[in-house]
Amino acid sequence: MSKADRPIANPLSVLREEFDDWALLFDPDTGSVVGLNPVSVFIWKRLDGNHTQGEILTELQDHFERVPEEAEEHLMEFVQGLVERGFVGFEFQTK
Amino acid sequence: MRTPRSIDLEITGRCNLRCKYCSHFTSGGDVEDDLPTGEWLEFFEELRDCCVMEVCLQGGEPFVREDLKELIEGIARNRLRFSILTNGTLITDEMAAFLASTGRCNLIQVSIDGSMPITHDSFRGEGSFHRAADGLKLLLKHQLPAAVRVTIHRQNVRDLEEVSKLLLEDVGLPGFSTNSAGYFGLCRKNTQQVQLTVEERCLAMEALLKLTKKYQGRISAMAGPLAEARAWLDMEQARRKGLKSASDGGHLTSCGGPMTKLAVRADGVITPCAQLAGMELGRINRNALTEVWRNNEELNRFRNRSAIPLAFFDFCRDCEYVAFCRGGCPAVADSILGNAYHPSPDSCYKRFLEAGGVLPDEDLLATSQAYSNC
Repeated sequence: MSKADRPIANPLSVLREEFDDWALLFDPDTGSVVGLNPVSVFIWKRLDGNHTQGEILTELQDHFERVPEEAEEHLMEFVQGLVERGFVGFEFQTK
Repeated sequence: MRTPRSIDLEITGRCNLRCKYCSHFTSGGDVEDDLPTGEWLEFFEELRDCCVMEVCLQGGEPFVREDLKELIEGIARNRLRFSILTNGTLITDEMAAFLASTGRCNLIQVSIDGSMPITHDSFRGEGSFHRAADGLKLLLKHQLPAAVRVTIHRQNVRDLEEVSKLLLEDVGLPGFSTNSAGYFGLCRKNTQQVQLTVEERCLAMEALLKLTKKYQGRISAMAGPLAEARAWLDMEQARRKGLKSASDGGHLTSCGGPMTKLAVRADGVITPCAQLAGMELGRINRNALTEVWRNNEELNRFRNRSAIPLAFFDFCRDCEYVAFCRGGCPAVADSILGNAYHPSPDSCYKRFLEAGGVLPDEDLLATSQAYSNC
């Protein structure tokens, strides 16, 4: 996986947004549920197959204040975790 | 929470049995006709739009609906998962295979109230034990997430050890849950015959705590003797430690249901809970679910029930446990007193003691509690 890959959310996944900007990510096929904080929700909404992880990182840095240096690493880990749980796949660029 | 996380759906008011403690068939949930298929399918689309995660199909008996497969296909199509509460007697091999094929089933709970026909059938009707056991076997054959609920009453209270052996050893279930016949529906008419006396309640508490220890926490309860024993132990220990109050104690805080879920009657009327069938909040496909969930005055009043202090009630006056008590189930209070905004007399520890009730040995309670916290 690289920053240039374009992650895309499993269209069957359900994002339950709550009043406090947190959310639950739910996979009805497995019953798996993941709690998302507001930053994770921001990222999830950009997993549309159009954004590379690099572009998502840039938007994250533009949108939030005091984004830590490790944000890129955290972003990659977060996306990889969702991939492993079936919430996300990838749309690779073809040459 | 912007929308309910789950919804209990009474998809039918019909049932092939007439159990003597059924919460229907003289309750506010009794309706003339079931909703047609199309109404439920339309509602499932709204549930998808509201990001509801699960529906629990109940009744009546859900498997009497001829269109059950169509309904479940609609549930799956709309990104929902489902559970079913059933008497188990109408489950066929073909239906179990279908349910498994959906991959969306969270739980199918079969009611089994005894280790043998004489105890189970005493209130559920002749032949129902074997048919329920057969239904359970079919669910297990198809590797469905089958569960069992044992409702404790006067005819099976001395059969709990054998029931546990049957379910946990012979059938090999990972666990089962217990309750006791509550003062709802037909049970109101058959109270003397069905509901546990104080002595039997004590017997059930002790038996269940011993069995919980023996089977290392594989017996659970949200209500009934096992849950009461644990709750009342907490109250006793908190009082003995000299605490001024317990967490959430002293107010009507027992029920958190309406913070996460709703129910729908077989006629489409939305209620806070299937057991509070008379508290009508709206109707599906006429009232938007989000509107009911967020703005219904009665529902919001009911949610704020937790702000009502127990000291407010004459019923709780002079009770030394009031700061540790949470008031019990509002639906039981409503059924007994006609008032869901009152403590439930059935959950009152002081009344239990005054009637001669004695909690089991505290060591037994402590061991059981350790398992309940696992």
